[in-house]
Amino acid sequence: MITVNYFGNIAEATQSDSETLDQKSMSLEELLNLLDSKYDIRKFQFQVAVNRKIIPKQQVLTISDSDEVALLPPFAGG
Amino acid sequence: MKKVFLEGAISPEFIADSIAKHQGKHSIGAHNIFLGQVRADEVGDNKVVAIEYTTYEEMANEKLHEIREAAFEKFNLTCLHIYHSLGKVGVGEICIFVFVSSPRRKQVYEATEWLVNQVKEHVPIFGKEILDNADHQWKVNS
Repeated sequence: MITVNYFGNIAEATQSDSETLDQKSMSLEELLNLLDSKYDIRKFQFQVAVNRKIIPKQQVLTISDSDEVALLPPFAGG
Repeated sequence: MKKVFLEGAISPEFIADSIAKHQGKHSIGAHNIFLGQVRADEVGDNKVVAIEYTTYEEMANEKLHEIREAAFEKFNLTCLHIYHSLGKVGVGEICIFVFVSSPRRKQVYEATEWLVNQVKEHVPIFGKEILDNADHQWKVNS
């Protein structure tokens, strides 16, 4: 299972804070394409965190079982 | 892990109490405090009445820990505290409280500004600006 967490305006679009995908492994590109087909996420500005570390969206990376992915809109602390 | 996130606005009593707690630390000669207050920004014909904060808490806590460690490396500090609100904070209320203490004055100014900038840039906190017509928009740090 791959967990995907949503925040801010993206959580609004997905109508959920988090979901689990029944996948053992997929590339980051495949994951983003899947989420885009479901929620049209490319219209939002966001960064990707994998296991709580921000990584470039274009990075060639395999997301595996038990990884935690998060889509982070622009930060607004303070 | 130090507790940073508090539910709702940060009260003046909480801030006063934090100051009082340092009176027993006699190596301190200077404190500096930054308080961020929710502003009634105008959005077209409407005004912001509150900001509702959310966070990715596990990642935020990891990031805040790194920021604390880096601050102690970079500046000569006795202690530092960062508090940030979650949930709804009305205009005029305090949403961030950064409190830096050192033996001497010079470092606390620099450290406070550095810390506030780090929190704004690197900690995953999100802000929903609630308008007076009940509409909302998402805050973006400039």
